[in-house]
This record gives sequence, C-alpha cells and structure tokens, in this order.
Amino acid sequence: MERRAVLRALSAGVIGSISVAPRAFAAEPPPETTRIRLNRYPFDVACVAPQWLAEELLRAEGFKTVEYVSITGDADQMVAGKIDMMFLDAPGLIQAVDEGQALLGLGGMHGGCYELFGTSHVRSVLDLRGRTVAVSTKGRHAFVAAMASYVGLNPRKDLKIVLTADAKQQFVDGKVDAVLGFPPEPQEFRARKIGRLIVDTTADRPWSQYFCCFATGNRDFVRTHPVATKRVLRALVKAVDICAAEPEKVVRGLIDRGFLKDHDYSLQALRDVPYRRWREYDSADTIRFFALRMHEAGVIKSSPQKIIADGMDWRFINELKRELKG
Amino acid sequence: MAMPALAHQPGRDARLPTIGAAPPFALTTADGERLALNDLRGKVAAVTFIYATCTDTCPLLTAKLAELSKRMGKDFGTKVVFVAITVDPERDTPDVLRRYAQAHGARGAGWAFLTGTPAEIKDVAQRYGVFARKTDRGAVDHTFLTSLVDRTGTLRVQYMGVRFDPDEMLRDLHSLLRESGR
Repeated sequence: MERRAVLRALSAGVIGSISVAPRAFAAEPPPETTRIRLNRYPFDVACVAPQWLAEELLRAEGFKTVEYVSITGDADQMVAGKIDMMFLDAPGLIQAVDEGQALLGLGGMHGGCYELFGTSHVRSVLDLRGRTVAVSTKGRHAFVAAMASYVGLNPRKDLKIVLTADAKQQFVDGKVDAVLGFPPEPQEFRARKIGRLIVDTTADRPWSQYFCCFATGNRDFVRTHPVATKRVLRALVKAVDICAAEPEKVVRGLIDRGFLKDHDYSLQALRDVPYRRWREYDSADTIRFFALRMHEAGVIKSSPQKIIADGMDWRFINELKRELKG
Repeated sequence: MAMPALAHQPGRDARLPTIGAAPPFALTTADGERLALNDLRGKVAAVTFIYATCTDTCPLLTAKLAELSKRMGKDFGTKVVFVAITVDPERDTPDVLRRYAQAHGARGAGWAFLTGTPAEIKDVAQRYGVFARKTDRGAVDHTFLTSLVDRTGTLRVQYMGVRFDPDEMLRDLHSLLRESGR
C-alpha cells in the first residue's frame, strides 16, 4: 500500500508513537490495558517523584485507571505481579535479574540519588574496614558492596553491611558507622549536620557518570503489553523532564496529593537529582559498570552481558530518545 | 557538559522518526476563522501550546519560535507554519491571541494562534500529550511540548520544555522540507 494510502486509512485522533521503519509505519494503537499499577511508599522517597507526577500524563496516554500500590522497598511486589512498573536502582535491578526474577530494566531515568554518610571516624570508603554500614534495601546492600569493592575492600570480609528497615535511625542513634542515604535522607542529614558525607553519587566519579534509577517493568507485563509499556515510559520521561524544570511546583503538588510529606528536604532532593541525564547517559554502560563491580564483590554470579541479555529491554527508551527531544 | 540534543542524535542526516498520524484538530484562529490540521497538508507544521496571560515560560517559547521563524526565511509561511494552541480557552479569545502574537513578534502568514471551546482544547491537548490544569491563582500549569508534523500530517518528533536547542529544531524543519521535496 502506498504510504499516503496508509495515512488516509489511519483512524484519526491517535497519539502517535511507535517508531518503525520508514514507509511501513502505523499510528500507535491504544494501550493493551487501560489499567496501570505503579508503586508508592509510606515514607518520603523523593527521587522517584516522576512516577507520581506522571498520573495525569498516564491518563493522557490512555490509562483510565492509575493505581499506586504502597511498598516499602525492592521489587518483590512487581515480581509478584502486583505492580506493573516502578523505578528501581541499578544495583537492585541487576541483583534481581541475577536471581532470575521476572522483571525487565527499560531505561535509566536519572543519575545521582545515593549518598554515603559516615560518623566522624569515617573519612573515606576505605575507612569502612572493620565497621558497620546500615542499608534499608537489597539494592542498597549491593551498592555499598560495589563501593567497597571499587576501593579494594572485600565487602564480605572487610566490613559488615546490615540490611535493616530503620537504617537511617540506627545511623542517627550512633548504632552503626555509616549509612547509604536515599533522597530525601541525604538532604536531611546535610541540613541537620548529621554525620559526614563520604560519597555523593551525584557529584563523585565514577558513580556520577552513571544512572541510578531505572524504569523497570514486570517481565510478563512488558512482553504482553508493549504499547502500554512504551506509553508508560513516555509519560515517565516527560515527568522526569518536568521534575528537572519545575521542582518547586512538583513538590508542592505531590505533598498536596499525599505522596510526599516534607517540603524542604524533598525540594532540595529534586534540585539535587540530575534528572536531565536520561537522554545523555547510556543505560547499558550503567548496567555494565555496576554488574562488574557487583561481580567483583561476589554479589552476583552473572556477567554483565548476561544481565543485559536476560534482564534489559532498551527498545522503548531508544525510540523515545529519538522521538522526544528536549 | 555535552549538548543533550546531540548526545542521542544518530546523525545529522538521519531521517527523523515516524511517530504516527498527528492528532487532528479544527480550531479558531486569531482572525476568527476555522483552521484544521488537514488545511496544513503540504506544509511542515510546528504545533505547540501556550496561553496569553502566562508571564514566564510561554513568552520565552514564543520568542524562541519567532526567532526560528525569521531563520526559516522565505520558507516560513509558504512551506513551514507554526501553530500555537492556547491552553486557556476561557480567557484567550481570538482578540487576546492576536494581541499576544503581536506583542511577542509572532507575525506573518506562517503563524496560527488557535483557540476553541474548553472541551475542544482539552481534547487536542490530551491527544498531543500535553497536560494542562488551572491553578487557584488563575495561571495554567501545563507541559511544554512542541510537535513537528510533516507535510503528510505525520507526527515526526516532539520537543519537551523550552530549553531545546533551536539549531536542532531548525535542522529538523529543514530535514522535513528536504524529505518532502524528494
């Protein structure tokens, strides 16, 4: 069929978006489902704000029901099929893929996020030898292991990494020597002068050169709902751009809607997180980098290639990088 | 810092992606006439969303497009048009839009400022992926999205925000003109 004839045959009023080969395109069909489930937290987690900001954008993409399921961390609920998509940090994503969990990384959303804070006795990651670091998710556990491995420590022998839901409080109470903070915790630590900043992944190389959070989907959902997946991802990257452009408005709106509680720390977190990098950074580079560090640290068994082959799907983000400039 | 626009660009000669049929519209111009996307067939169109009483970002976007219109030279109006659709139809009458256009240097046959009923505007904004909401203070919170539509009415690429690289948009407009001329 002639290209013009195809165009004439297209039904009107569809938001376009699947990029296919020239001369063989079709308008993007509606999503395979009109229900989408993302996650929220019962406590402040500021850097994943785009997920919540995206609610109206998701409706514009054809999702009539947008649900936010409350979780406390990690991807267990998504693997169990109770959440369709969520932001997950690179180490957590890699670890889940290594464990064979049914999820797919879809593309890096932003860099930064994590900051390692220590007590006055800790001046560098090397100073963690013989000390205890508290973390509140498996992904953060893997992140600290990667940081330790990067400076030559054996994370299994040279330091103790404690996985506990009250990691922040244990650090504040002086029960542990360091903690890996996640926004808005680092902003609070800095404002209240709690501890000493050891590593700022937004500014300190090599961590600052890679993504932190990835849009991640339940594997079955992504495979059976490719149009919906791309539409969700498009709403998310638009929301990421808005977080970069208008953090004040975003935080105010999310507090009004009950997704965030603390204004000042959350606003500072949104200002700190480098949201504009989703177009610049390479998702595969990030996965390779962290997978190598985590492999060195003995946290995962798989090679970076296997992690990418088994657990990543860059189709959608690559199309969006071409279609949505900024 | 590397230019974000170039970092993901496959190459200056690469064909722009084909997203799909551009969402159609039929709205009222600043001259009180009806204008539909179909009327623009044969021309390359940049479709964006603004509102006239905006005091910060919309004027920046309009000024950026006005500067681009000058750089398009004689192609602007004859082969390329810029369409600005209001997201505040209750206040942006054709008269208001005409004054806004004049105030921001958006003059000439290549410009179309469009308004409509709230339902029409809501529908077209949503189908282009633009979210707009009135605030308590009377302003309109909305996403900035400028879409390039080729001569066949196909949506080819979208620009988020107002910080996009105008040189890149100019290249994309020229690319669509060259492509259409094949």
